[in-house]
Amino acid sequence: MRLKLTYPPSEVQRPVLAEAVLKLGVLINILEATVNVNKGELIVSVEAEKGKLDKVIRFFQDNGVTVDKLTRILEIDSDKCMHCGACISPCPVGAFKLNSDLTLDFDEEKCIGCKICVTACPTRAIRLVT
Amino acid sequence: MSGRFRTVDEINAKIKRGDAVVLTADEFIETVESRGLKAAAKEVDVVTTGTFGAMCSSGAFLNFGHSEPPIKMWHCWLNDVPAYRGLAAVDVYIGATAMSETKGFEYGGGHVIEDLVSGKEIQLRADAYGTDCYPRKYLETVIILDDLNQAILLNPRNAYERYNAATNSTDDTLYTYMGTLLPRYGNVNYGGTGQLSPLYKDKNFETIGIGTRIFLGGGVGYVVGEGTQHSPQTQFGTIMVRGDLKQMKPQYLRGATFTGYGTSLYVGIGVPIPILNQKVAETAALKDEEIITNILDYGVPSRDRPLVRKVSYAELKSGKVTINNQSVPTSPLSSQKVAKEIAGILKRWIQEGSFFLSDRVEPLPTQREFKPLKVRKAELRVGDIMTPEVVTAKETDSVSAVAELLVRRGIDHLPIVDKNSKLVGIVTSWDLAKAVASKKKLLKQIMTRKVITSNRDEAVDVLAQKMARHNISGVPVVDRENHVIGIITTDDISKKVVGGGTR
Repeated sequence: MRLKLTYPPSEVQRPVLAEAVLKLGVLINILEATVNVNKGELIVSVEAEKGKLDKVIRFFQDNGVTVDKLTRILEIDSDKCMHCGACISPCPVGAFKLNSDLTLDFDEEKCIGCKICVTACPTRAIRLVT
Repeated sequence: MSGRFRTVDEINAKIKRGDAVVLTADEFIETVESRGLKAAAKEVDVVTTGTFGAMCSSGAFLNFGHSEPPIKMWHCWLNDVPAYRGLAAVDVYIGATAMSETKGFEYGGGHVIEDLVSGKEIQLRADAYGTDCYPRKYLETVIILDDLNQAILLNPRNAYERYNAATNSTDDTLYTYMGTLLPRYGNVNYGGTGQLSPLYKDKNFETIGIGTRIFLGGGVGYVVGEGTQHSPQTQFGTIMVRGDLKQMKPQYLRGATFTGYGTSLYVGIGVPIPILNQKVAETAALKDEEIITNILDYGVPSRDRPLVRKVSYAELKSGKVTINNQSVPTSPLSSQKVAKEIAGILKRWIQEGSFFLSDRVEPLPTQREFKPLKVRKAELRVGDIMTPEVVTAKETDSVSAVAELLVRRGIDHLPIVDKNSKLVGIVTSWDLAKAVASKKKLLKQIMTRKVITSNRDEAVDVLAQKMARHNISGVPVVDRENHVIGIITTDDISKKVVGGGTR
């Protein structure tokens, strides 16, 4: 499950993520990070089953961090998509590929919402939902 | 080996009877693999091909008919996209890469053509100087495709036999007509459809010529001649094509935007290749593994982009290519799916007897020099306008001494060099201001080590583009050994280039 963690200015200085890893013994992979004095925004992927995941989310919330589940990031307009594949190679996480029938395949699980595909798409068929 | 198998007339007679043997290029390759070229060529009459890619050299002639009172259009816009207006009173040419004056890169001539074919309403606006025969000076109305007398797609350069693949060696993401190119060979984008490519399947131009009937944008079109920049001897042959927009379908004619480059038009083209002789059979059977193209470095903004390596379409289509021992992801920019669909549709048309082959009226040239444009006026190079007397410092110099130096000399950029005068970093007056504020003592604590540089022979336009991209105002000029030989600033460029020039 990918989560977007938004730290308010008051919590940016605290190692909340490190505490979560140590206290809950969960593996958290940072996919993208923007941290400065005004705010912190992390996109992380958490490998945990439902019960544990809920605990992780609660831990962040109790520590003042806003948590958004990234279940749906992109919307691909199937009328506009020509299956040209211009989005495939720029994607940093390899979320796109061509199926054997040459149609475009998008793996939502891999997507980190970096938007590079949105500008790479020649027909502007890709839209960021969140 | 130039055994003649059949003529176009004989094939058309078979199409009429309903017993012509037609295969797509993919199917023909399979047949050749299982039964051998000789048997396949003997049996198969026509091989169909397809491509669907961005073809920037495309556009349409439109005739609007006359308004009351009539106008001789001087300027004309379709959905705010300017159309070419040097043809009589109400004929215009809307080019695929013309861009909207209000929406810019997001909407252009290619989109106008797609919208016309989709049956959408288009805003038509025109002005004029008014004449005795055409008194009207301004016109604003709405048109649809059905209103037009003629709407003729006429594309000067389409369907390259193959195209160069693109990568990027620089440290920046580049936005090109070959799509988004990630830094440090991060990806490879390629165009064309390899073994389905219409012109590659007849790469000796044994059958394709003036008058060849083709699938164009979902309707029937014709090859009207060689395309511009036609270079068949290097397998970069092209065709000029013509078709009636009123027959076409928007799924095979799509407006497109390449971020940072501009607009274009995806054009669907399918050419039937009659298997007239052994030579055509051989080229029609060529596989992705045998069709080789170049991966070029689009990081070098030059006409002569360096070759990174040669590559087959099979490797490109696998999704990964190897560059410098790294596995690099690839993107086709042409839709392989739609190309395959087009080859299939053309096959069906021929089998159903609704599409007959045409004998060409003239062959296309098989030798054509593709000449570069010579710029005969001497143009400014960085060496012409740089300041050769450069103030430099060492990384062990103190912030306070250097700050004093910059103020005294009135400069903003200070290259940092080692004991051999080789560039190791740069410090700007802004860096120094921050250093003073944060009480840092030595230049090596504050200098930028990754320096954007120029060289004596770099074109000033190229440097200006680079400086804008990095949002910097000064660049050290270095020689091949990285010795600092000058410095150039935005001030130098604006004063010496824009302000009339000193040479």
